[in-house]
Amino acid sequence: MKKPRVTGSYILGVPIFIWLLALVITPVILMFIMSFKLKEGYEVTKTFTLANYLLFAKNPIYWKVLLKTFRMSLTVSCCAILLSYPLAYFVSRKLKRFKELLFMLIIIPLWVSYLVRMIAWRTILGNRGLINSLLMAVGLINEPLKFFLYNQIAVIITLTYIAVPFVFIPLYTVLEKIPKNLIDAANDLGANEFRTFLHVILPISSPGLLTGFMLSFLIALGDYIIPQQLGGSRGMMFGNIIWSQFGFASNWPLGSVMGFALFFIASIILTLSQKFGYRQGTIE
Amino acid sequence: MYTILIYIFLYLPLFVVIIFSFSPSKTIYGMSGFTLNWYSKLFSDRGLLLSLLHSLEVSIISVCVAIIFGTFGAFFLVRVKFPGKGLFSTVCRLPLVLPGIIIGLALLILFINLNVRLSMLTILVGHVAFTTPVIMFQVASRLQRMGRSYEYAALDLGANIVKTFWYVILPMIKTAIIGGALLAFTISFDEIIITYFLTGTWTTLPVFIYGMLRFGLSPQVYAISSVVLMFSIFIIFFMARFTGTRGEEMGR
Repeated sequence: MKKPRVTGSYILGVPIFIWLLALVITPVILMFIMSFKLKEGYEVTKTFTLANYLLFAKNPIYWKVLLKTFRMSLTVSCCAILLSYPLAYFVSRKLKRFKELLFMLIIIPLWVSYLVRMIAWRTILGNRGLINSLLMAVGLINEPLKFFLYNQIAVIITLTYIAVPFVFIPLYTVLEKIPKNLIDAANDLGANEFRTFLHVILPISSPGLLTGFMLSFLIALGDYIIPQQLGGSRGMMFGNIIWSQFGFASNWPLGSVMGFALFFIASIILTLSQKFGYRQGTIE
Repeated sequence: MYTILIYIFLYLPLFVVIIFSFSPSKTIYGMSGFTLNWYSKLFSDRGLLLSLLHSLEVSIISVCVAIIFGTFGAFFLVRVKFPGKGLFSTVCRLPLVLPGIIIGLALLILFINLNVRLSMLTILVGHVAFTTPVIMFQVASRLQRMGRSYEYAALDLGANIVKTFWYVILPMIKTAIIGGALLAFTISFDEIIITYFLTGTWTTLPVFIYGMLRFGLSPQVYAISSVVLMFSIFIIFFMARFTGTRGEEMGR
């Protein structure tokens, strides 16, 4: 019998390594190098400097926006979890019929264009949008209310809307795997539904919770389109500042510093979620 | 009850877009009547049609390239023993899980360093960056579930490597590749966060729509949005029907 080693050879790895090196690793390293380059006038010189980092560290506005972005992303994650958890619990455990259909119905918005979903929320919250039109039609107000759009809340609502399916999928996956006899055991031992949830279901589903948290947090963290369209100046996020360094401000080295800062934060969150996700484990 | 509210939360915005695309008046306030005017106007907008064509080009080409990279990558990840597999898998997933702005920014700096002008090529490269892992992980999870016994059997029966791949392995992973490709296509077709960084004068559809938004919301925007919406939903059903993929394996 010939030993089949074919599908196990290292040559298979060549294309993916080329991809990884060219499109992931090299760009990130170049971004890192760019963050140390000195900018003189409109030119990026070959001289290395720490000036960009100092410029970033000394400007309180950048820190304030970064902190605000952090807070907003955290809020988005929490809102998305609050919406998704009961939903995932209901669809995966309480439902017998239409389970597949309801699952699909939550996943569909995920595939619907990001831009379309953003446009939809601008329509609903806008000055001449759905809510204002309705309120005016009913006669509650005479002038359109301005506080729906161009603030943090509008950005948070829209990002939460985008994030819900991303939180739902991992939660659904872990919740569906919990064997029914585990719940029965808890009930037999005298736990009511709430205690069963708190001591059995919640701990088992925590890896899914963590994955969902991470995904939604990262989605919110780096967005610049939604804050630009719905946030106004108050809802501006860190992504907008990064974008402006490549647009009108045209300071690539400083933009790279910020990009690297975001990369650093994202890496920490990814590592943390992976560590804890595995340690707590799922029932296999 | 709570569940129903969430479903309303998920779908109301989409219906709003569709409804307003039929509005006869320029502003959405006080909509009355029904018109298909905005849809017929779409067909005479050259810039729009051109960007739609561009989007299709970019998505199709990037998915084809990603199928090659991704399938090889999946075999490498699942079938080859090598140290640091966990890290390798995590790094491959980065273009999907990292905020798009980082990938867009890093690729832009790559092109600045290489002195490449922003064009279709730069957008294409950006799209290959995130479509590859989509296909790779779909195929990888299929390979994992499939096991190796079929390959061994084929090889024992005297088939060579090429034949084993073509007649045994490929038919078994075909649906995973198609499912992954459709998923990658839908993501690529409406990607904007990375694309916007890599766009020069050559625009894709999302970038074009984004440009339209500078002049405010109009029924025209809703009409094109509704078309895109219908198109995505069509692909989802196509995917669910023919591949059985539910997209649980997707990262983004």
